[in-house]
Amino acid sequence: MIRLLQRLILRPLLADWGRTGVTLMSIALGVAVIFAMDLASEAAAGSFKTSMETVSGPDDIEILATGGVPVAVLGKLMQLPLPVKFSARIEDYAIVNGKRNVPLVGVDVYANALEVEGDAGVAVELHGIFVSESLGARGDLLSLQVNDEVREYKIIGVINAKQLTGDLVAMDLEDAEAVTGRRDRVDRVLVSLPAGEKENVEGWVERLRPELPEGATIRPVGARTEENRKMLAAFRWNLRILSYIALMVGAFLIYNTISVSVVRRRAEIGLVRAVGATKALMTWAFLSEAMFFGVIGGLLGLAAGRLLAEGAVKLVELTVQALYVSSVASPIRFDPGAAALSLAAGIGVSLVAALAPALEAGQIPPTEAMARGRIDTQLKEASGRRLWVALGMVIAAGLLSLLPPIAGKPLGGYVATLALVAAASLSAPSLIQFGARRLAGVGGVKSLLAGRSLAGALRRSSVLVAALATAIGMMTSVGIMVGSFRETMLTWLDGQIRADFYLRPAGTAAMDRHPSISDDVARRVEALPGVAAVDRFRAYSIRYHGLPVTLAAGDVRAQMRYGRTSLKSGDKDEAMRAMLAGEAVIVSEPFSEKHHVRVGDRLELPLGAARPSFRIAGIYFDYTSENGYIILDQAVLRKYLPGDEASNLAVYAEPDADRVKLRGLIEASYAPRRITVFENGALRREAIRIFDQTFAVTYALEAVAIFVAVMGVAGAMLALIIDRRREIGLLRFLGASAGQVRGIILFEAGFIGLFSQVLGVASGALLSLVLIYVINKQSFGWTIEFHLPVAAMLGALTFVFVATVIAGLYPARVAVRLNPIEVMHDE
Amino acid sequence: MRRREFLSAATFMKAMPGYRYQFPRDHFSHPDFQTEWWYYTGNLKTAEGRAFGYELTFFRQALQPVVEGKSVWTTRDAYMAHLALTDVEGKTFLHAERLNRPGPGVAGVNASEQRIWNGNWSCVLTPNLHTLRAMDERFQFQLQLRPAKGLVVHGVDGVSAKGPQPGQASHYVSFPRLSTTGRIQIGATSFEVSGTSWMDHEYFSSELDPGLSGWDWFSIQLENNTELMLYRLRRKDGGSDRFSAGSFVDASGKVTHLGSGDISLVPGRRWKDYPVEWQIAVPRLGVELRAIPLLDEQELVSKSKMAPTYWEGAVRIEGSHRGVGYLEMTGYRADLRLGR
Repeated sequence: MIRLLQRLILRPLLADWGRTGVTLMSIALGVAVIFAMDLASEAAAGSFKTSMETVSGPDDIEILATGGVPVAVLGKLMQLPLPVKFSARIEDYAIVNGKRNVPLVGVDVYANALEVEGDAGVAVELHGIFVSESLGARGDLLSLQVNDEVREYKIIGVINAKQLTGDLVAMDLEDAEAVTGRRDRVDRVLVSLPAGEKENVEGWVERLRPELPEGATIRPVGARTEENRKMLAAFRWNLRILSYIALMVGAFLIYNTISVSVVRRRAEIGLVRAVGATKALMTWAFLSEAMFFGVIGGLLGLAAGRLLAEGAVKLVELTVQALYVSSVASPIRFDPGAAALSLAAGIGVSLVAALAPALEAGQIPPTEAMARGRIDTQLKEASGRRLWVALGMVIAAGLLSLLPPIAGKPLGGYVATLALVAAASLSAPSLIQFGARRLAGVGGVKSLLAGRSLAGALRRSSVLVAALATAIGMMTSVGIMVGSFRETMLTWLDGQIRADFYLRPAGTAAMDRHPSISDDVARRVEALPGVAAVDRFRAYSIRYHGLPVTLAAGDVRAQMRYGRTSLKSGDKDEAMRAMLAGEAVIVSEPFSEKHHVRVGDRLELPLGAARPSFRIAGIYFDYTSENGYIILDQAVLRKYLPGDEASNLAVYAEPDADRVKLRGLIEASYAPRRITVFENGALRREAIRIFDQTFAVTYALEAVAIFVAVMGVAGAMLALIIDRRREIGLLRFLGASAGQVRGIILFEAGFIGLFSQVLGVASGALLSLVLIYVINKQSFGWTIEFHLPVAAMLGALTFVFVATVIAGLYPARVAVRLNPIEVMHDE
Repeated sequence: MRRREFLSAATFMKAMPGYRYQFPRDHFSHPDFQTEWWYYTGNLKTAEGRAFGYELTFFRQALQPVVEGKSVWTTRDAYMAHLALTDVEGKTFLHAERLNRPGPGVAGVNASEQRIWNGNWSCVLTPNLHTLRAMDERFQFQLQLRPAKGLVVHGVDGVSAKGPQPGQASHYVSFPRLSTTGRIQIGATSFEVSGTSWMDHEYFSSELDPGLSGWDWFSIQLENNTELMLYRLRRKDGGSDRFSAGSFVDASGKVTHLGSGDISLVPGRRWKDYPVEWQIAVPRLGVELRAIPLLDEQELVSKSKMAPTYWEGAVRIEGSHRGVGYLEMTGYRADLRLGR
């Protein structure tokens, strides 16, 4: 058995190292991408836990409220005759030295003074800060920007908690209150239970709830991490699915490799069978070849994946930050579970891909072992039937797309994409036959021979076309989806961005972070000559049914006069009036999809200490937040959460105002605060920049899949050349020039590229419909209008075509170098 | 630091002779003085005779005479508190400490509510009843204290002198005998207890004299319905300072000031660094006593260098008279700093 494996499998693999290498690489890359994405998305999602939660220490329960927990609540809690410990936290973000965004916590230095080394009194007196080791040493000066102001602080202590991995700045509550503008409110009250009660968290939550105002939320401390995971689930799930594309492409290559092995070694198989080897043994022998690719490729992939993860985490982090939550990625940990899963995926896909050719190897009867070409004939006969199956698959995909989401996941959509990929693969043989016949004349004898040879070795060529078509299909579909999304968003932005200038505190934007602009800035801008109106937009991160949502308040009056927000459902004028009256809100489309609410439903919102209820008067289109928005009028919000600081200011200029001059005046009115001013056009560009940034991961994954496919084509063609060396030798013998032989091979590569393009674009167009109307809608809830990004698609397809032809260069060179005499003698 | 201390100390009010006490006002906070404490200690027993000692102390320490800032977190006074329970039969000494800023009602003194508190440790001090309430993860108690005798003012002319300089003194008031009943709970077991408590209230603005390392303080309640308060200011060279002093309260409540010459305090057996047994003599009163700890291990070890570590424990009194008391010994681990 071992010798059989060695002779029949290992030796040929080593002898044919080029193809072995390409196949191994395709599996390795597939596994690497899966593993890297898994590690990266875990690091990007888990980071919130590591920076904010490690400083929570041994706390069990947290109390939160929109806009902060009133401090009076804290005073009351601390006097309750209960053996629990309460501690207050102010939590925000600071920009360190104008660059890094780091979590900032305000803690009660006095209450902690007995627990820590160092002199608390000094901390308070000097207004000093404590920092993580990553940010500096004792005595250093650190400049921190919080909201729109920058101040300098002296580091008076370094936090050396072992479990603290991220950056952190801590200061006393008094300083934190001053710098964050939380007047008489704290962001969280943490509750530490006595040693014997740590298991009874739920009991204590219920015990404490009656002591709290209606608007407050009380829950176990881990809930925020859970919430983040829940929030990121759809995003991560889709990322994971995307990461499997490269491996799917790899599967075709494994199939091709094993098929080639079986075909090439028919003689040997026949011989071994003739001397008594069983059918099962043959099957196992070739499955073990696949196993070899799976294991070795998988292990290489794990190593590569760990390296790739470093880059991937940056891409994922950008997306997560722009769409979801402020996260400073935590360091990547080698997760054995994820590694095992990725490796298993690699091995599993290899085995499944190899199953058909391996079974076929078992079926080879000893007597027919020498008969060549039979299988290809069979395939030719069957290709018509396959076309019908393909059609059935397309119809099945259509039906699957109609399914509602299952457990919140668009499973029907995913299966539909698989069906479409399968349909494309099944159509490959017919397309090659048809195409080869039609294109026979374009390049004279070279194209004729190239077409014939592709159609002749249908089994192999169709797999290559299928592999490349899958990659192209995925690229096309995602390209169409992203392009449509972008176009939809651009149109939406035109309607949405009506003001002349937008102001917000400097620094990178994040969905859950709402730094504010000092109140006097708004008043000063309002008073400037040439300013018609200033709309103050205030946002808070709140939780609705366990998921984060942005609650925002704007000036509905200004919106009525200047804005052009169109509602998806609901009557705009009625909605605006009801908002002004304080009885209604409008919500964004993703919110309504995610929480299954429609116009006329009521929402209970935690606002400060209260929990008032509002009617949904309208649903509007929004493409900036997957978590969604709830919008109410600023006067209504102010009733519950006092404070005039805005997160953004929209400035409407008088029609005849000089914009350049006005911008100068605005800038002068806030100096030296750190505020960024966007002109109308610049804000649009900024929105698009963020949009593109969020899809960086997607593009990277696409690129890997295409790369694997093109490399696969090169490797497979090389194998094809070697198998056909007798034929090539014969051609040379009959007088074909080196150039002609090269031409034939390049035509073959070009044909493969072309057929793959046709198949890929056709299937990609169908796939994009599934992505836009099924997977996107069910995962994220966005309404995207279909647009064909023609120029971008043409560019990408040309690039892939050229790459395929270039991939044919090396095999062509090998073919040209074959010594005709030697080759003829060989056989 | 030195300069700051000088500046701040200069603007706090000093304890000077001639101070006119006015109650109940003077039971509560004196923010003009830098340091202030309310000190409850007591010896309690269950009906079956199981003995407990307890301590509940509230400290107020002004950081600066005037602090600017309008935030709820702005802190002029830091509030520390100590809680201890001596379970003689269980041979355990449990203690806890906390430090808080007043914040939004987290700690403080409120004369109109007649309340002194630090988190959920509190004292409600009314003319006829002091109610103490305190809890920890491991134990809690709720005690009702009724003055069996009126309050006494220690020292001469309203000040208890601690050194030669003017102002090196405190205003020092005690309730020498408080009949106590209540409930103590350790883990899940509770005990109905009764006994006698002592309460000290002291406020001042002076550091301990640099020549001193600490003090040894006694509160003694004798069975003949008289009480003694004695303290020895311990010099760094080991001797007793001449400002050591005390008070004798007779059965009618009349106070007699005792100078250092009237008192003899001789340390005896030691536990760790602390002389936990003492020979006490006040020849002028014909009193010759021995103080024996109910438990050797009654040291309050602070987790922080910011707060003092000291021995404070229940003692029994034998000799010419029998009784109960509390002994406090400070400055044995490190020189005691009052304030900062």
